[in-house]
Amino acid sequence: MNSIWQPYTPTESHQWNLERVKHLHRRAAFGATWTELQRDLRDGPEASITRLLEGKSRVQGQRDDFDSIAQIIGESAARSEDENRLKAWWLFRMLFTPDPLREKLALMWHNHFATSNLKVKDLGMMLRQNELFRQFASDKFGKLLHEMLRDSALLVWLDANSNRVGHPNENLARELMELFTLGIGHYSEQDVKEAARALTGWSIKAGEVTFRHEHHDAEPKTILEHTDRFDAESLAELLLNQEATSRRLAWRLCDLLMGEHVVNQDAIDELASGLRTRQLDIAWAVETVLCSELFFTEKNIGSRVSSPVEYIVGTVRSLEMIDKPPSTLILAEWCSRLGQDLFRPPNVGGWNGGRSWLNSRTLIGRANFAATLVAGELHSPVQLPDLKQLLAMHSKPTDGPQCSAFEFFAMLLLSESVANGNLGRRDDPESVVIELLSSPQACLM
Amino acid sequence: MLNRRKFLKASSLISLAPTMPTFLSRLARAAESAANNGRILVVIQLDGGNDGINTVVPFRDEGYTKHRRALRLPESELLKVSDEFALHPRLRSISQLFEEGRLSIAHGVGYPNPNRSHFESMKIWHVGGDQPELLSTGNGWLGDAFGSAPVTTGKPQAIHVGEDSLPLALVGRRCMATTVSDPADLQLRASISKSNQSIVRTGGGSLTDFVSKSVSEAYASSEQLSQATAEDASARYPDNRLGQKLKLVSQLIKADAGARVYYTSQPGYDTHAGQLPGHGDLLGELSSSLKAFMDDMKTSSLEDQILVMCFSEFGRRVEENYSLGTDHGTAGPVLLAGTHLAERGFGQLPSLTDLDDGDLKFHLDFRQLYSAILTGWLELELPQSLRGFQMDRLLR
Repeated sequence: MNSIWQPYTPTESHQWNLERVKHLHRRAAFGATWTELQRDLRDGPEASITRLLEGKSRVQGQRDDFDSIAQIIGESAARSEDENRLKAWWLFRMLFTPDPLREKLALMWHNHFATSNLKVKDLGMMLRQNELFRQFASDKFGKLLHEMLRDSALLVWLDANSNRVGHPNENLARELMELFTLGIGHYSEQDVKEAARALTGWSIKAGEVTFRHEHHDAEPKTILEHTDRFDAESLAELLLNQEATSRRLAWRLCDLLMGEHVVNQDAIDELASGLRTRQLDIAWAVETVLCSELFFTEKNIGSRVSSPVEYIVGTVRSLEMIDKPPSTLILAEWCSRLGQDLFRPPNVGGWNGGRSWLNSRTLIGRANFAATLVAGELHSPVQLPDLKQLLAMHSKPTDGPQCSAFEFFAMLLLSESVANGNLGRRDDPESVVIELLSSPQACLM
Repeated sequence: MLNRRKFLKASSLISLAPTMPTFLSRLARAAESAANNGRILVVIQLDGGNDGINTVVPFRDEGYTKHRRALRLPESELLKVSDEFALHPRLRSISQLFEEGRLSIAHGVGYPNPNRSHFESMKIWHVGGDQPELLSTGNGWLGDAFGSAPVTTGKPQAIHVGEDSLPLALVGRRCMATTVSDPADLQLRASISKSNQSIVRTGGGSLTDFVSKSVSEAYASSEQLSQATAEDASARYPDNRLGQKLKLVSQLIKADAGARVYYTSQPGYDTHAGQLPGHGDLLGELSSSLKAFMDDMKTSSLEDQILVMCFSEFGRRVEENYSLGTDHGTAGPVLLAGTHLAERGFGQLPSLTDLDDGDLKFHLDFRQLYSAILTGWLELELPQSLRGFQMDRLLR
């Protein structure tokens, strides 16, 4: 029987072309520079995907001491008690990390375990949680889930402090089942009540998570028809072993990597079943999806609304604003204006994503972001991006005529078909970039 | 300016011309949603604890003379809108709204065992109760109530207009709420060319159609905003912070931002010292801004869809202090503006002689108001915490 996720091999009708290279980088990373795209076009899908999975896909803006610099920036941001600096730190990571796929998965987990500093009010906790998302980004899911059940930010966020024997608070138990593992419809209200008892005893004292036996309900509980003296760990194990959990994870990954209406229930089920036989190994699932024919089918390309972070970081990377990068504080502010305020998801369910990213305000925002970028106002002080130089550097094919600003930037930022559809437009790089980035197609990836 | 006539004109265009400009179809849809439901709650939070006694003044109460000596407002200047009470002289515009039946006062609103900490009491008002388990949820009364309402569009259910972070009242398990602080966020920068709309993937199906449509709608709304603000000279908002915030609320409503709740605040009511001039200025700002907003809504035929609620976390002590100010107290008036209010007054004016340890006794629990607003106005299910609170006839 053929697998729905069978691997992609280039054919006459499914060529390895610039559109597919860009598609890969947009979904699995935050876009790519012209140099990176051309390299991958040359080297073929296998080498390109392997580089992304190994965190070696980026050429520009790479330095050996990235990790230690990022750590210093992150810790000083947390100490500063200025939330904007922590947001800026994350954008710094997304822009310069050698491993953008990991960063993207961290963002996915931030949405999965959506925790807001609005309530947590502790940047140190938010930073720690964020580092866990990164560390366990593509590990076996159980590791991350166990970490989360002992994570101070998450426990503050979901009221662990008021969950004690005799006075259970169901908040954590409910979200654990509804959002983090099973999904709605796969448990009863009674299961939530019983799970809340299993989670009693964990609390946060002076910023540290502690377990107090006297607050834990050690009596037997019946959860999902299993009766045992469940505690947080055995409850997590029970949930990890449910089919529904693997399906929810498969859905979550497809939500990140695949477009609208590309994946059906059979595809989810097959991916979920693969996850179950591999202890919910996220790395396996990510690789399976990225290598698949389904991932590279025509209908999957450009069939997803980009999130504000994807739109912003992708644009900055593609335009190679790398040696003289924009202010990450300003970029963070734009993410928030476009509807994705990092460390402040709107509620426990996270950002809805997809079409809900787009409304009049956020679309005006995207267009204004493009105009702001071209006006040099993403830098502080103002500094014009050198679009002419970028054009001059890359637009001279070795054999053939030089292409126009419209053709080049359309090819880089949008697609070949847009590049070919240029009908007497203005051709200065600045107007062209604004026009392309504010177009309807720029919202899709 | 958008008025009912234009709306209807646009509505009838819908059936005539399926390919008409999206600008017009959007207008028609705005009219449609207004007709179906479209009720909007605007909350104005008076930050710091408004001195209700010098806002809605019980000038005939002998306690007023007794407890307010330096801070007593001269009777000759008071706006006597009723036999029992008068309004602060700076509330002239609000007194007009009151006399025209477009504003009502809920007197002596509070809750049992009042908390006198700004932070705690504000939290109690935001959350809708003071039970510890409720306070620890991190959700607010409006956010909770939206938890039961289906989300059908990408439009937020609540919009906070202001510089600071999202108010707790709007946080909910499933509530989509957002903050808007800058009118520039709603207007396209000049360098953006409309010809970009043609840059769209062909044959992309419903998603491409959706994106194209959303972009043209966004541009139409930006255009409509510019027109609305340019055309309409009558919607003059006072040049103060609250006035500008309410102007932004109005722009968002007219641009069909789609939220059912708009939330904004006016800071500065913590008048411990030298209260008279500062408090008067704040009330003047509130009064002129609220009147401008209600008049703007009226001109735009939107007033029937609007209910405004102005509240503060507590009132102030009845007895003035020694620095010409007042300290933190308990109950206070809540101002309600709109055309659907059943009475001019709700609850009863608190007595300044029958006190509870120097503080006003409350007569109306704020949760009764919340409950009536949620069920009667927004037609939402009551969150658990508000069940059991009710109020007769807030709305007609």
